[in-house]
Amino acid sequence: MIESPGVTVTRTGEQGAFGGELLTVNFGPHHPSTHGVLRLIVDLDGEQIKRVQPVIGYLHTGIEKQMEALRWQQGVVVTDRHDYLSPPINNLAYALAVEKLMGVEVPPRAQVLRVIMSELTRLSSHLVWMGTSGLELGAMSMLMYCFREREQIMDLNEEISGFRMHTSYIRPGGVFADSTPRFLEMLDKFVREMPGHIDEYEDLLTMNPIWRARTIGIGRLPAEDAKVLGATGPMLRGSGVAWDLRKSMPYSGYEDYDFEVAVSNDCDCYGRYLVRIKEMREAVKILRQALDRLPDGPVNVDDRKMLPPPREELETSMEAVIHHFKLFTEGYTVPAGDAYVAVESGRGENGCYIVSDGTHKPRRVKFRSASFVNLQALERMALNHMVADMIAIIGTADTVLGDVDR
Amino acid sequence: MGVEELVASLGDNVLTTTLGKVIGWGRGNSVWPAQFGLACCAIEMIAVATARLDIGRFGSEAMRASPRQADLMIVSGRVSQKMAPILRTVYDQMPEPKWVISMGACASTGGVFNNYALLQGVDKIVPVDVYIPGCPPRPEDLLNALMILQERIKARGIVTQS
Amino acid sequence: MIADDLVLEKGVTARDQWVTVPAERIREVLSGLKADGYRLLVFLTCVDHLIDASREFPARFEIVYQLRDMDKPVEIRVRTFIGGDSPRIDSVHDIFPPANWEERETYDMFGIVFTGHPGLTRILMPDDWVGHPLRRDFPVGGEVVEFSEEHQIWQTAPDEA
Repeated sequence: MIESPGVTVTRTGEQGAFGGELLTVNFGPHHPSTHGVLRLIVDLDGEQIKRVQPVIGYLHTGIEKQMEALRWQQGVVVTDRHDYLSPPINNLAYALAVEKLMGVEVPPRAQVLRVIMSELTRLSSHLVWMGTSGLELGAMSMLMYCFREREQIMDLNEEISGFRMHTSYIRPGGVFADSTPRFLEMLDKFVREMPGHIDEYEDLLTMNPIWRARTIGIGRLPAEDAKVLGATGPMLRGSGVAWDLRKSMPYSGYEDYDFEVAVSNDCDCYGRYLVRIKEMREAVKILRQALDRLPDGPVNVDDRKMLPPPREELETSMEAVIHHFKLFTEGYTVPAGDAYVAVESGRGENGCYIVSDGTHKPRRVKFRSASFVNLQALERMALNHMVADMIAIIGTADTVLGDVDR
Repeated sequence: MGVEELVASLGDNVLTTTLGKVIGWGRGNSVWPAQFGLACCAIEMIAVATARLDIGRFGSEAMRASPRQADLMIVSGRVSQKMAPILRTVYDQMPEPKWVISMGACASTGGVFNNYALLQGVDKIVPVDVYIPGCPPRPEDLLNALMILQERIKARGIVTQS
Repeated sequence: MIADDLVLEKGVTARDQWVTVPAERIREVLSGLKADGYRLLVFLTCVDHLIDASREFPARFEIVYQLRDMDKPVEIRVRTFIGGDSPRIDSVHDIFPPANWEERETYDMFGIVFTGHPGLTRILMPDDWVGHPLRRDFPVGGEVVEFSEEHQIWQTAPDEA
């Protein structure tokens, strides 16, 4: 028995192939390369991994419970914080679910702005992934290059929403505010420069012998296993299954954009890396198209019961004041029922299942997080690999622990 | 033997005025943070270490993976009830003298998550020197907190046991 | 297809197709749907309908299985109700492997016992935690915020209130 605070883990006492007893090694929860507070109990035979037991919950935040205590429009703020590398995509899943239940359709300009924010977030999420994974496998300079571009995305976020990371930009009924001319200028510059930067990353990693040695053939996950284990996102596409929610079950007008689904048949860590690189290129393509087609018009639904009236109306219209007061004291109600919406985040299928009992607060909000399901494939990927390869495997699984534990 | 023990062993026989300043200057300009990332704020903590903000200008770029080599713990993110004992263990493993920065609203007060799962403020389990507001704070805020901490370390000099 | 005697109710809410089935035959229903091509369990969760006046529910806990056929692609939501005293339902971890952790999470958060699960232990909360946090009768917890509504109630002596 190995005792640790809060968790009990039993030692097996099994014999390994080399004559000795299996060695149980604790990995985390505070470890520099687990991408957060992930804890693994690894059984080793010599240096080979024979069993992996992930212990999660070290970042359990009670987000689902917290949302039951918040009004519908307040919940958006909390959705930002569960998968903290892709806040606008979390907002989008929640906003789409609420809109689906209320039967609301947002205006075209808001749809395009939502796509822009989603793709920017996908880029920044992949950049953080590539920087930290590179750092762990010995490519220290990757972190510096990737965060250079991430800072530009943060500046874009700040320009459009006023905040760097947790933008709360996408809300039920539309978006927080219209884009500024400066934002479009900055985005245009960013979209022009980004393909060159992606070439830089590829120069650093794609043919890098150390990177290839650490990732090719490591963490194999055949397509059939990936499907059975319910993996989504780059984990599934890295195993050769062309499944992308943006193509297969389009939302927010993704069906109108011309882009390819990134797939790799390598089924290993390297394949997942190639998928993410390709996804970044496709994201830039989508951003360019979105920028070109951005229509004029309102960015919110015209419903005073759901969204506050414009500031200038408050000074002249009594009705606007009443609406404003009602909205911020009581909130709006959502018809009783349940709805599920899934969107494609940087990690896979990020879904939101909401149940309403017809009041101004949700009865239940469930986040279907990609990391939580993908993490279950860890044992399948790590089996019979060397213990040092564990780092590459955790890295390319790209789990965000806030998303796993919620 | 650390400086603190040496000074204590001398008793009241020697005054350590200038030595205290030198030691404070040295410690203040080489604060090594433990690489202890928890949640969202950890990403901003990484951003501080990269090219645009470069915490290396303040002598703190050496993020140590082992708490035994660190003297500053940046609690970057929300601390759950399950994580709290581990956080305290990591803190206890750090050698004296040590400092704690509570980064962000969640670490300082629980932030927007006032519920069963989270510790409402990390100061319930470890003594905090500097609190940073924000959810997450800007990286510049973290640099500011580090500078405040440096001033304090420099002013303190040798930490004598009372 | 699901046999007619298994379907208690079916319908469409907000463009989502759903079907209600008896809890004791859930394994039969899910393996039948899997054979039909619904091979991905998108998520599994529970909804606590304690004191929900908006609609009529046969029992307190509703277990929800969202299944997807990735080839078509279509989705179906399988709902089943179990009572509140000692909630118990068959595990489906061998039909859909991702259900393993989801069932552990549902056990942790709602106290639903999944019979036949290989290791039904807490997954998110510490092992020694008491209670099931996502049940509606479990308080949100936390601390009283000063100058808030709750703070006022908290400050008022019970005999005055």
